[in-house]
Amino acid sequence: MRVLRTLLVALALFSGVTGVAFSQFRFPMPEFESGYQHPQMHLPLPKAGADLIDMAVLFCVLSLSAFVVLKHRSRRTIFMLAVFSALYFGFWRKGCVCSVGSVQNVVEAVINGAEAVPVVVLVFFVLPLLFALFFGRVFCASVCPLGALQEIVAIRPIQLSRPVEAVLSLVPYAYLGLTVLSVATGAGFLICRYDPFVGFFRLGASFSMFLVGGIFLVAGVFIGRPYCRFLCPYGVLLSWMSRFSKWHVTIAPAQCVQCRLCEDSCPYGAINTPTPEDRPITRREGAKRIGFLLLITPLITALGAWTGSASHEVLARVHPTVQLAGRIAAEERGIYSDMTVASEAFRSGDKTIPELYQEARTAVEGFRHPSAWFGAFLGIVIAGKLIALTAVRGRTDYEADRGACVSCGRCFVYCPVEEENGVKGEQEKAVRE
Amino acid sequence: MNESIKKIRRRDFMRVATAAAAGGIAWRGIRRASGSTVWQLDPEKCVQCGRCSTHCVLNPSAVKCINSYEICGYCDLCPGYLRPGAKLDTGAESQLCPVSAIKRKFIEDPYFQYVVDEELCVGCGKCVKGCARFGNGSLYLQVKRDLCVDCNECEIARGCPAEAFRRIPAEVGYLLKTSQKGASRET
Amino acid sequence: MASRENKKKRFESNESARRLATAVAVVSGLFSFIVCILLIAHCAQMRAMKPLDDPVLLQLRQQLADAPVPNEELVEHIRALDLLARKAFFTSQAHLRMGGHLLLGGVVVLLISLRLSARWRARPPVPGDEDLSKEYWRSGTRAKELIAFAGVLLVIAALLAAYMTPMRIPDLPLKEARQVPAVKFPDWETIRQNWPSFRGPGGYGVAYYTNAPADWDGESGRNIRWKVEVPLPGFNSPVVRGDRLLLSGATEEIREVYCYNTDTGELVWKRPVENLPGTPEKAPEVGEDTGYAAPTMAVHGDLAFAIFANGDLACFDLDGNQRWGLNVGVPDNHYGHSSSLIAYESLLLVQYDDNSEARLMAFDVETGARAWTVPRKQISWSSPAYIHTPLGVQLILNAEEDVDAYDPRSGALLWTEQCLGGEVAPSPAFGGSTIFVANEYAVASAIRLDTSGGTTQTEVVWQWDESLPEVASPVATDEHCYIATSMGEIVCLDIETGAKVWSHEFDKGFYSSPILVGDRIYALDRAGTMHIFKTGAQFELIGSPKLAEPTATTPAYLDRRIYLRTDKHIICIEETSE
Repeated sequence: MRVLRTLLVALALFSGVTGVAFSQFRFPMPEFESGYQHPQMHLPLPKAGADLIDMAVLFCVLSLSAFVVLKHRSRRTIFMLAVFSALYFGFWRKGCVCSVGSVQNVVEAVINGAEAVPVVVLVFFVLPLLFALFFGRVFCASVCPLGALQEIVAIRPIQLSRPVEAVLSLVPYAYLGLTVLSVATGAGFLICRYDPFVGFFRLGASFSMFLVGGIFLVAGVFIGRPYCRFLCPYGVLLSWMSRFSKWHVTIAPAQCVQCRLCEDSCPYGAINTPTPEDRPITRREGAKRIGFLLLITPLITALGAWTGSASHEVLARVHPTVQLAGRIAAEERGIYSDMTVASEAFRSGDKTIPELYQEARTAVEGFRHPSAWFGAFLGIVIAGKLIALTAVRGRTDYEADRGACVSCGRCFVYCPVEEENGVKGEQEKAVRE
Repeated sequence: MNESIKKIRRRDFMRVATAAAAGGIAWRGIRRASGSTVWQLDPEKCVQCGRCSTHCVLNPSAVKCINSYEICGYCDLCPGYLRPGAKLDTGAESQLCPVSAIKRKFIEDPYFQYVVDEELCVGCGKCVKGCARFGNGSLYLQVKRDLCVDCNECEIARGCPAEAFRRIPAEVGYLLKTSQKGASRET
Repeated sequence: MASRENKKKRFESNESARRLATAVAVVSGLFSFIVCILLIAHCAQMRAMKPLDDPVLLQLRQQLADAPVPNEELVEHIRALDLLARKAFFTSQAHLRMGGHLLLGGVVVLLISLRLSARWRARPPVPGDEDLSKEYWRSGTRAKELIAFAGVLLVIAALLAAYMTPMRIPDLPLKEARQVPAVKFPDWETIRQNWPSFRGPGGYGVAYYTNAPADWDGESGRNIRWKVEVPLPGFNSPVVRGDRLLLSGATEEIREVYCYNTDTGELVWKRPVENLPGTPEKAPEVGEDTGYAAPTMAVHGDLAFAIFANGDLACFDLDGNQRWGLNVGVPDNHYGHSSSLIAYESLLLVQYDDNSEARLMAFDVETGARAWTVPRKQISWSSPAYIHTPLGVQLILNAEEDVDAYDPRSGALLWTEQCLGGEVAPSPAFGGSTIFVANEYAVASAIRLDTSGGTTQTEVVWQWDESLPEVASPVATDEHCYIATSMGEIVCLDIETGAKVWSHEFDKGFYSSPILVGDRIYALDRAGTMHIFKTGAQFELIGSPKLAEPTATTPAYLDRRIYLRTDKHIICIEETSE
């Protein structure tokens, strides 16, 4: 204390004389007599150019993957590439930036013009889609770290029945819609919050995140790629692109001979069998049915929009302000006696409760229209699925489903057909036609 | 044969069109695109709530305390190092830091140097609180770029009661306190 | 590009290899499972224990802090516990890390061995021979049914959720919240009915109650309700809230705050102000005429604030509990710090103008947290006042050269007029739309405020350089302003033109500031005689009741009472009906 007092008295005495203008700090800058110098602060900056390397690696692995899937056709190489991606994009780069999450950044940039999206995120969004447009879902095969993890653990996959798979395949659309809804209304990034595998990549997460991730991995042993097939919102976009791809992976390297050996080879249910020749209904009947479905599509869409709008308050709960307001209101009414971390933080801040309520109400109101769009989107998707299941497309060969096939290449080894004259199956078919 | 060729040509056209559209969106995005951004804590807004140490997805947290030597007063009775009312010794009962991460070294009378050992620091902010209240505010928290994994949505940012986290350009990296300021805004 | 032979090889099984792989899988699986369970248990334990926030340790530290003399044994105990806690924390971190890596390794080995085991058991595909066509159509139909069913279920669930769990956010009107940011703090009407700071509500010398006594006698005790000795001296004036009257007193060594009951004069509580963070060991030198407790206290809602010559600033509630306290820094002031405190809404405003680091500081009244600090330029001994203008409240401060106005919420500077000089002790007066300031060795200036244009425009409309005050602050009505000088002269000036309307010489000089009570002015001279005269163009003396005790402070005027502090006593004057 003595030295402090001396210091302060010295300050009081000398300040008037020297007229030194002191800053607003309580204690003045020390004047060292022993020649002591302030040590330099050494703050590490992130490695510059890390983004460039990532983009380059992405492009290379995508190209390699396309080559292996379409030309080289070796399941082992595809698997090795997947392991590499899991290690590089997953454990080394900690799973972030990832293409799945980039959807949110792009949506945010489109809807909310203020936020600009970094180049690397944009590249991670666009490049796999472009490759899918030309080569099919080669991204899923061996580039996506999430897919790679699931690919590694898919050891004893079982086949799911067609109806179950059809219904579950609606979930990614709902998740995509929900993600866009969440970003558009400012409720935050859902994909990042509920990514089951990023905890493993980071080697750090909350207990619940590890639990969910663990459940997905264990489930993935028996149900192939559960996240990819039944949750991934980016997969929806990829499947759209892949449906129109110029080249796509084929089961048979040349003409299919319908030997049926590949029927049980796909762990992801992505093989389309040839349509049986005997049809239960006539063509005319089939056309009528499709006509009917097309007619009620607007009704289904409208029903979806109305349901979405009606349940906008429920959907609004994804918004953190709305959640907080609900919690504070309940605490004020006496329903809860203790506080959560969030409510405690709020109460120690400057915002008043009526202000919070006003913000929450504004946020809830802001959900009305986007929820209607979300509902309409789901309505169209359901109608589309029904139409797709009704419209029978005559197929004579065993083909990989253009939308669902992730180009993993497990089916290659099951097909006895060998390449003849080095000509690929598709081109040969086209020539034959 | 003609039909199928027409079909193929149409398909190709659609593919090119889609690719062009995607390229257009990408171009529009790139024009607005920034370099990458990273998360950082604004020390002027921080209220030293302690959530930096608990909310980070990494364990231990990527947020560490740093001491700005230009601002530090080198005080004998450092309010960031010693508990209020503590005697002037360096025993555990007097230290504020729960992991004893601040190391004190005598320079010359009456100045002591305070260095934060980052291996030990957990980013709890107790020393920051003491220094901001009664000292110069030279101890403050910052996200270390070599530790942070730059999540798309930072968990600490979500939980910060003072909304002190924001994205800054990666080249800037840190929001450092400077010693030249006008009217200070202290908490 | 696998040839048929290679493909066949793919489906061959290798029994011995498979057994080995399975065995390794079982072992690594068990290992991983055990490590996983251990990790979970460890995490749960750490969460429950929280070594860095151990309650026992906290309690021991508190004990040590409370003990007047450091207990060696306790110190040792704390050190030992702290070491254990830190060890526990860091070893737990290391264990978690190692456990995580072990788990990762175990899982990797498990996966590899499982894959190899599956590979070496691989069975070649057998072409199915059942007819799948019926199944094909049936499964297609079932898929459609299921999808339709799921869609309907979704709609029902969504509607149920929407109607059964409505968002119950109460509709609290926002306006209400805005106007009363801190519901506990008194509004202007309540403030006016008390005496919250130096020179009354707002600090510009105007009392709310107009029924103050006009006749009393100190020697005989006529109309003196009570008279109590104040333990320590101080030149601060009394402040009153409800039935509580507060004073502070100090010597070089001791600083105290006193709370009296206004009806009986009983000392309800007294509290020392000491050992605040930053309190210097020795108080600075002060002049005899200033003393160690010159600044008047402020009382705001249930909180009372006091500041002393050594920079100690403390807050007590009206029951005597110290809420917070800190030392704002020893002032570099050759006479001693004397600017009084004033509070507005949720902030305590401290004018701390000294020779080296003049500033205006704002503290949160509840916690003492610093809200903002604004640097200023010159030294001052006057006190702040705040006035209500059509554009909002403005805080007016006098200093050696400038008169400054600030926004009391943010500290933003609204306007400045450079019209003073000398060592300024008198505080600003306010009447009509004019601010009136005066000081000996300078001039008296009338600053007219024009708020019609959306911002405040100021203009010094006239100045007066004859009789000027040294200590006592002037006071103004809508028509006139009054100066009381240390020589005993009181001058009345026309507030529009600055023309002298009248002046009167009294025997003794004035240190106490004259106060406007209704249509009268109460001016207390240094000998303790109160000169009461009517406001207006004619000088009309109403009375001069005596106390026969020297005074330098400014009294408080409440409903039918005057509270007056002399050099030694605090006195309550009330006219009892005879």
